[in-house]
Amino acid sequence: MIDIQGLTYTYPASETPALNGIDLTVPEGQLCAVIGANGAGKSTLCYAIAGFVPHFYNGTLTGRVTVAGRDVVATPLAELAGEIGLVFANPFNQITGARFTVREEVAFGLENLGVPRDDMLARVDAALALVGLAGLGDRSPYALSGGQQQRVALASVIVMRPRVLVLDEPTSQLDPVGTREVFETLAGLAQAGGTTVVLVEHKPEWIAVHADRVVVLSAGRVVLDGPPAEVLAAPELSGYGLAPTRYTQAARLAVGRGLAPGDRPLPVTLEQAAPFFTDRVSP
Amino acid sequence: MSAFSLYVDRNSGLNRLNPLTMLALIGFCLVAGLALPGAWAPYAVFLLAILPLAAGGRVLRPFLSAALKIVLPFAVSVTLIQGLFWTGGTPIVHLGPLSLKREGLIFAAQSTGRILAVLGSFLLLALTTRTDALMIALAQHGAPKSLTYIVLATLQIAPRFQAKANTILDAQRARGLEVEGGIGRRVRALIPLTIPLVLGSIVDIEERAIALEARAFSRSGPKTSLLVLRDSHMQRIGRWVLVGGMIAAVILGIVLRR
Repeated sequence: MIDIQGLTYTYPASETPALNGIDLTVPEGQLCAVIGANGAGKSTLCYAIAGFVPHFYNGTLTGRVTVAGRDVVATPLAELAGEIGLVFANPFNQITGARFTVREEVAFGLENLGVPRDDMLARVDAALALVGLAGLGDRSPYALSGGQQQRVALASVIVMRPRVLVLDEPTSQLDPVGTREVFETLAGLAQAGGTTVVLVEHKPEWIAVHADRVVVLSAGRVVLDGPPAEVLAAPELSGYGLAPTRYTQAARLAVGRGLAPGDRPLPVTLEQAAPFFTDRVSP
Repeated sequence: MSAFSLYVDRNSGLNRLNPLTMLALIGFCLVAGLALPGAWAPYAVFLLAILPLAAGGRVLRPFLSAALKIVLPFAVSVTLIQGLFWTGGTPIVHLGPLSLKREGLIFAAQSTGRILAVLGSFLLLALTTRTDALMIALAQHGAPKSLTYIVLATLQIAPRFQAKANTILDAQRARGLEVEGGIGRRVRALIPLTIPLVLGSIVDIEERAIALEARAFSRSGPKTSLLVLRDSHMQRIGRWVLVGGMIAAVILGIVLRR
């Protein structure tokens, strides 16, 4: 669904490339998490998949980005909008300000796509229910909390039913319960709806549970790529400025002190951690 | 902290009118109030058209209270200044060394009337018509959508902008910035307050543009609307009648002034 070949991109006022020779293929329906330290190129990768790099930011781009069969560099942004959804961290700036209620705000993208009104109502209410905002449709989006606004931003993009959903830290303002709900929603969209999801996040415990795959970026390059259990437990993770999950940290500590045998893969989720620690005591 | 709006939902006849009909009605009041000659024409329009409409729209109380708050201070000051200091006018009332001049009072009455008609018209529009509905209606009739977007976004973002300015003010005060005291100190304090506000807003604008694009804002082709705007054959005719009324008022004004 997403096919990136040899992507190198440099922002207009910059000397060093933000993305440097990226090769990445994401099949349909996969939930692919992207992690990396600040300045690793995560947001730029999101913009490149959604077409804002290079259409919005200009700069120099080499390589190929193909999403849902379209050459992103050759397709105008307006045509990509319905196909590729983009959600980013700051919820306030994603509220367009063009409409006065949450329901109308979520419908704004559908109005621009020319979706008939009856369809629109059903889709908007379904999207609001999906992100847990069912009762707030008539409120002003600006009267909501940061976490609620973030859910509005998510609903506003999900409602357009993009085939590819790109999210740059969509849970930055959410509490643990909200984070879990968003991750479950995204996993559901990927599994049941066949939506391809690229998710930039900093919360390794949640990535470990819900992602099909983890890609680590460092200085504009893909340095690790594989299933969560493999990538999140990789010893080189801290060298890229990333913290492993607390389960991995505890397990590594236990192995280091001789409390657990070092020949087993380290756990990255609670489910994996339980047998890792309890198996030690059983004969 | 929601949108900056005066709209009051009374489920009145005026609330149910198509926003364009309301706009034509207001336009007619405005043009008639300003184009017809004589100091009393704006008052006549105010009393015979704007006030009854406000009453019909069931917004008479907020309408009068807002109109008085703005017009009364203006009326008092313009009456005193023009009445007392009109050069070479006919004195009619003597107040010690000063006197009220007839010409000055007429000028004051004329300006107050015009302010009353203009302010009353816009106030009536703001109280009875949803801005978003008006903008959607205008966009459907060919107004540039970026223009209607700017109007709507400004109404919603202005209160947020103010809140942001207050946050910056609090943050800089917490770091020891003194914002009270003499005029020099206050002016100096403006720099560390405005720079973060302006720079932050530039970043905001960039993100906002991305968010709009991601929602297919610039896509061409037919658009739909969740908000249903009521319209009827009668209202369409009514709008043309009002436009005709505006032209008639302008012509009448020119003829009567000769």
